[in-house]
Amino acid sequence: MSQSIGRSCDELKKEYDTCFNKWYSEKFLKGDLRPECEEIFKKYRDCVLNAVKNKNIDKLLGEARKDDPF
Amino acid sequence: MVKFFQHTFKYEYNWDSVTLAFWLRYPNPFASHVESVDVIDRYVDPDTGVLRTTRLILKRGVLPKWGNGLIKKPEAYIIEESLINPKTQTMITLTKNITHARMMQVEEWQTFRVDPNNREFTQVKTEARVISNFGWGLTERVEGFGIKKFADGAAKSRKGMSHVLEMIREKQLLRGRGFLTI
Repeated sequence: MSQSIGRSCDELKKEYDTCFNKWYSEKFLKGDLRPECEEIFKKYRDCVLNAVKNKNIDKLLGEARKDDPF
Repeated sequence: MVKFFQHTFKYEYNWDSVTLAFWLRYPNPFASHVESVDVIDRYVDPDTGVLRTTRLILKRGVLPKWGNGLIKKPEAYIIEESLINPKTQTMITLTKNITHARMMQVEEWQTFRVDPNNREFTQVKTEARVISNFGWGLTERVEGFGIKKFADGAAKSRKGMSHVLEMIREKQLLRGRGFLTI
């Protein structure tokens, strides 16, 4: 598994990725669209967004996400 | 907006596996410069059933595909956006650099569909476009960044995906034979 941008988020990322990969292949692809992993995602995401801020790329990221490309 | 690269490729794996491999593609032996990958946002649209994901990728120690002496610090942040529709079996991805974007921003679009000639295979269409180029003449920039470099990078990405797909297949085979319980 890949690392997180914030090394302190690695554990949360591992937990989230594992949950997502399982949900994706066993539920989502089989037609069950009910979201799972939401609690761990919140924790993991908060950690990441914090790391993004600390590395001063939050503005860049915000700019890039302004327009929905799809 | 100038399209400078276009390519169609066929993975000999089914669409489900290829899209899963997309999530698992880092790390792989062909992507030694990828330092981190994080999910910034992800949700299922309740109306369309489409999975929308945004990821942030950090690459270190390598210049962008189009970098040719202009970039000093070899660190690049990339944003990856994707849409997955499991009903139509379509995945669309967009990857672009967010660092050095004012100098040059390149968007790589990919569409993953079931191969029209074989339901067990997946067809991927890749397109790359220049979005911004700092006011320089577009021809010089396109030539400057070396289309070949981009093509080489795209080939490495495919090798990485194929590597991960092979690993997924092996795992599935082991599971099927009862050697793996996870």
